[in-house]
Amino acid sequence: MPLSDILARAAGLASEAGSGALKQLQHVRLPGVGQASATDDPETAARRWRAVTVLTDPEQLQAGTPEPLTRFGDRLEIRVTPAPGERGAELAARFRDRVGEDQLGELRSALREAKQRIETGEVLRNEPQPHGHRAQTPQGKVLDGMDERASKEGVL
Amino acid sequence: MKAATWTGVNEVSVEEVPEPTLLNDHDVILKVAQSVTCGSDLHLLGGYIPFMRAGDVLGHEFIGEIVEAGSAVRHRKVGDRVVGAPFAACGNCWYCKQEEYSLCDNGNANPGITEGLWGQSPGGCLGYSHAMGGYAGSHAEYIRVPYADVGTFVVPEGISDTRALFASDAASTGWMGADLAGTKPGDVVAVWGAGGVGQMAARAAMLLGAEQVFVVDRVPERLQQVREHVGAEAIDYSSTDVLAELRERTGGRGPDVCIEAVGMEAHSSGAAGVYDQVKQQLRLQTDRPTALREAVMACRKGGSIFTLGVFAAMVDKFPLGALMNKGITMRGAQVHAQRYIPELLERMEQGELTTEHLATHVMPLSEAPRGYQMFKDKEDGCVRAVFTPGS
Repeated sequence: MPLSDILARAAGLASEAGSGALKQLQHVRLPGVGQASATDDPETAARRWRAVTVLTDPEQLQAGTPEPLTRFGDRLEIRVTPAPGERGAELAARFRDRVGEDQLGELRSALREAKQRIETGEVLRNEPQPHGHRAQTPQGKVLDGMDERASKEGVL
Repeated sequence: MKAATWTGVNEVSVEEVPEPTLLNDHDVILKVAQSVTCGSDLHLLGGYIPFMRAGDVLGHEFIGEIVEAGSAVRHRKVGDRVVGAPFAACGNCWYCKQEEYSLCDNGNANPGITEGLWGQSPGGCLGYSHAMGGYAGSHAEYIRVPYADVGTFVVPEGISDTRALFASDAASTGWMGADLAGTKPGDVVAVWGAGGVGQMAARAAMLLGAEQVFVVDRVPERLQQVREHVGAEAIDYSSTDVLAELRERTGGRGPDVCIEAVGMEAHSSGAAGVYDQVKQQLRLQTDRPTALREAVMACRKGGSIFTLGVFAAMVDKFPLGALMNKGITMRGAQVHAQRYIPELLERMEQGELTTEHLATHVMPLSEAPRGYQMFKDKEDGCVRAVFTPGS
């Protein structure tokens, strides 16, 4: 295998490792770091309601499924309830059937996007950004992998 | 364009990078006039916040002129001279409506990283790693500023660039500490750290009516600035026992308000300092909370503490017993700059708040590596290195 292919393969693996590390972070409970979320088993985690609080009139949200959640069709259950303390509406969704981590990631990303569209009218972008020369180091690719996956991970 | 980038641990380079473009309708592009080093950058530089990618543009405290505006920008226009807030904040979520802009729900494009670390994601900060949104920073000829109607402020003509520059972060962070710690007329306030933020916190406490203000540090030039430019009392921790000194000067009570403006790389003389350095290097703690511990022990019963210094994750030997049993209230936050910049600009215009003395070293952007080295080593009395990309 040519050296360039070997390096590309190594970089790809590093990127996957970064993405994987981010997936795992939400399951880690160390004192002071990553004590955020889920010790649920995968089946329970997949069935748990994922929710964002949107500063909007709950009735407006109840009137119709917001973009981009519509793309999941009837695979999702959606619940809208008024948030306490004039915080707007709680928009929650969960899959009707058991799903894997990838689909959960899609749902997290879609909920965040829906909230942003309603509150700000657009989805905030951070790419492309100006940056200097980037060597294909394993550490850099790990971070790239985390970056790529970041909108789909977290404790949502 | 030219930009100062992080290229490795303790390594800053000046590189040619692509110019930024409008990515969202609420964006503006700013031609940067001045951009300044911040103590929090040193945590990135030292690798303590391991979410920097080689080539990332540094800098989050800046002033410049708008050269391009997105279609949804309503209150700013091309040609405006503006100071920018470090945090991207939408202005429309519940947190922004509470004026807690650095907690914006929509400002961090990479929320998964910080949610995993901290349970929730704060807003995004320009030039401050991929954990905080992955935005390019202001040490460049141009910068993209998201949510520009919320995050940029037109500077009145009578204020110089160098004075207004510090409204962006140092002055707004300092003011926030004094304000949210609940400083009121007659209070005694102690500030740990005589860098830009610490000095501004002390000045804010005085303007909010504090009767006595102390600033604790060890760097002679900085302590001199505290006396000369801020008008507060300076305490050199390398030559005196800070806790005893504060007890003696406050009738045995301790300060009503303690403001920590040091952060995760605190220095300390003696065994405690060595202990923290070793634990941090062994990764048994991520942050060195030396100043914060001292603030807890110094604070009067029922007093309040505000943490302005940046911390990343976990600390060791935190005196929670003292905090609880003395009934202390402790808060912290990244800067809600949008909340304070308008008032600060007014006070700057009136001459109540001066900041030019913080800019001890002004240099072209091409000298950014030298500027950071001087800033880090506090060489030649460097308090802040200011870069002028246009020169």
